[in-house]
Amino acid sequence: MQIASLRSPRRRIAGVLATSAVALLTVSGCSVANTTQSESASPDTLRIVLPQEPPTLEPCDASLTATGVVVRSNITEPLIERNPTTGELQPLLASGWKQVEPNVWRFTTVSGVKFSNGATFDAEDAAFSIKRTFNGAIGCDVNGYVFDDSKTEVNVVDPNTVEVRTEAPDPILPLRLSFIEMVPRTTDPDAKVRQPIGTGPYMVDFWDSGQRIALKANPNYHGDAPQFNRAIYQWRGEGSVRAAMVTNDEADLATSLGPEDGAGDLGTAYVNNETTALRMQGTDAPLDDIRVREAIAYSINRDGIVDALFQGLGKPAGQLVGKGIVGYNDQVTPTAYDLDHAKKLIDEARADGVPVDRTIRLIGRTGQFPKINETIEAIQFSLSKIGLDVKIEMMDTSGQMQYQTRPFVPGSGPVLLMIMHGNQAGDTQFTLDQYMLSDGYQSTFGTTEYDEEIRKAEALTGDARQNALAQVLADEPTKIRQYAYIAHMEAVLAKSPKVAYQPNSATGDEMRLAEMTHATSSND
Amino acid sequence: MFTFLRRRMFTSLIPLVIVLFGVFFMARLTGDPTNLYLPVSATPDQRAEFAAAHGLDKPIWQQMFDYLSGVIHLDFGESLKTGQEAAGMALKAFPATLQLAFVTLLLSILGSVIIGCWAAYRPNSIADRFSSLLSMTAASVPDFWFAITGIWIFAVVAGWLPTSGTGGVLSWVLPIATLMIRPLGVLTQVVRGAMVSALSAPYVKVARSKGAGDLRVVTHHALRNAAAPALTVAGDLAVGLINGAVVVEAIFGWPGIGKLMIDSILQRDFAVLQAAVLLTAVSIFILNIVIDAGLALLDPRVRDKATV
Repeated sequence: MQIASLRSPRRRIAGVLATSAVALLTVSGCSVANTTQSESASPDTLRIVLPQEPPTLEPCDASLTATGVVVRSNITEPLIERNPTTGELQPLLASGWKQVEPNVWRFTTVSGVKFSNGATFDAEDAAFSIKRTFNGAIGCDVNGYVFDDSKTEVNVVDPNTVEVRTEAPDPILPLRLSFIEMVPRTTDPDAKVRQPIGTGPYMVDFWDSGQRIALKANPNYHGDAPQFNRAIYQWRGEGSVRAAMVTNDEADLATSLGPEDGAGDLGTAYVNNETTALRMQGTDAPLDDIRVREAIAYSINRDGIVDALFQGLGKPAGQLVGKGIVGYNDQVTPTAYDLDHAKKLIDEARADGVPVDRTIRLIGRTGQFPKINETIEAIQFSLSKIGLDVKIEMMDTSGQMQYQTRPFVPGSGPVLLMIMHGNQAGDTQFTLDQYMLSDGYQSTFGTTEYDEEIRKAEALTGDARQNALAQVLADEPTKIRQYAYIAHMEAVLAKSPKVAYQPNSATGDEMRLAEMTHATSSND
Repeated sequence: MFTFLRRRMFTSLIPLVIVLFGVFFMARLTGDPTNLYLPVSATPDQRAEFAAAHGLDKPIWQQMFDYLSGVIHLDFGESLKTGQEAAGMALKAFPATLQLAFVTLLLSILGSVIIGCWAAYRPNSIADRFSSLLSMTAASVPDFWFAITGIWIFAVVAGWLPTSGTGGVLSWVLPIATLMIRPLGVLTQVVRGAMVSALSAPYVKVARSKGAGDLRVVTHHALRNAAAPALTVAGDLAVGLINGAVVVEAIFGWPGIGKLMIDSILQRDFAVLQAAVLLTAVSIFILNIVIDAGLALLDPRVRDKATV
């Protein structure tokens, strides 16, 4: 009797489960699958897989790597662009530029260019874009990095001429303006946009947040139409998955790969202008003693790290900028790996009362570059051998940024921070202002004399500028020693055999889709 | 039955309330979103403006009050990252997780019943050894290892399956297979254990003496009585699947609630994190009630014990 009474509910439950299963399977077969129609392979579609979703497509934040790689020169364009190979400035939306007074530059905008919404581009739009970027209230990322929050006056002289007046003479203003993406004057001046309008070869088709961004060819583009009509960006956190997507023909390009991610023959290594270094917080003992900082620099086995951990992708570094950047000093050599000398320096400091036994925090950012964990562990091991007590702390981006940028975490104690700096602007000034000046946003200390040396070098032009900036870089290890440089990095990009594209030093920050062609129609 | 359900709902509400408060404070422990949403050079004024615009300048108790007030009115705030409604983003992501969890659980139950019954009926058989291997593997190997290894073998080397994404039936295989390992291993052991007991029970001997065949003994007599513990464990596993598909979703780019939570933690997107966690907690709450109701229907002793 009891068994019989249980039969009915059991059957009901079984029925409900079965019905639910069918319903859910049906739903799952539709809803999730339907979201990916655009992913299907098509000869006219480029499929790109990135390590992370861009936080925004706002053009004035295009100096953020994750944003710039989608936006710059694809959706929007600047007045002037820097050739990543030669370092020369080239006209784009400005046909020419001239320094008419020591602190005034004039730019002639090109005619016949339209935005993707059909509006005509002219000097009024250029002035609007410049003002919006560095005099606006929307906190553009490019502002502090490129312009150091200096106030600038922008005037429209005529429909094809825009004039920029700076507080002090600025010899590299055209280079700075190469960071400002042109947007129509109808763009919201007070809020950041998610789907920008520009003059580039592509325009935003849709952004399915968390899933994918689709671009389509801009019908109003002023140049030659790109070979691929569409581009689909997706993102996967795992490098091995990104590489596998290309080898498995699910994507045409994958970026930010490590040598061990398995791209195989489809992987292409390229210099990406990034340099890794340990920033030593010289405001706290024992790091306030230059002998201790020197000892740390001597204890890093750069050759071993590059060979064993980076599998040869990179070069030991002796300065924070790489070859090709104005100011790069080719006479500077990486600090030698010398544990005996390092230990001697520590012993000397200890004898003078420096508290070298104090625990030092070694902070790294998870996933900042391939093998960062192993690199940090190798460094910790070396530092322990010279008698320093170092504790590793791995953080995510936000946590690590609290230690990387001002205002720094108060009372953090002695900190060794792993940084990776990429100077995509092409001039050492952008590095020095951020990382070397006493009050730089990412600098923990310095000296008045060294600041003065930096300022003097930055005011120069031509060969004198190159020589002075090179001297500043050469002086850093001897006069300040805030950094223990590790390596000039190289990156790996996986590329489908169907696509022809030659990555360059700017690829990580600015991947120009219009340069990608069908492999069969290319000499690549 | 009504009294039983009312009591169960009341006791299950307590953790829900803890989650409601806990996620609020835990989210804020992850750090200040200003560092992510403003440029490195942002001035103190810009930082203050950002904080004021998002209510981050208020005392923590005031923020808590605003949050609770919003929840009561079903207003979960807006995403710092996208500006979209947080609740909308969570609701959009949730079905993908639910689908993945349900299909995984369904296949796990089917698989575990077949393997568990076979193993119990034929001790030391291949199925018995396979079930032991499954359970050991499930207990000792992490999800991400399965995921990466699966991608390498089936997507890269063999080329049979896509590496990730949601582009069709084949794209379900690796995420489900990865997620299935643990539930299948655990459930198989539970079914096997329950079936071993059931098959040696007196009523099975009676059924055999009356001439019932092997299949009928297993399916009509033993399995029914072994179902209750399996259902209890399956319920717990379902909760785990909804809550714990985070790694799998992140690796396979599955647009579910787990991936949304990870993204919102990394982006310090408090409103989205709170909405996602709360939605998951409510779903688990409902699921627990459904499981309890199912168990009470199956076994009157459960509801009698609870209502005493």
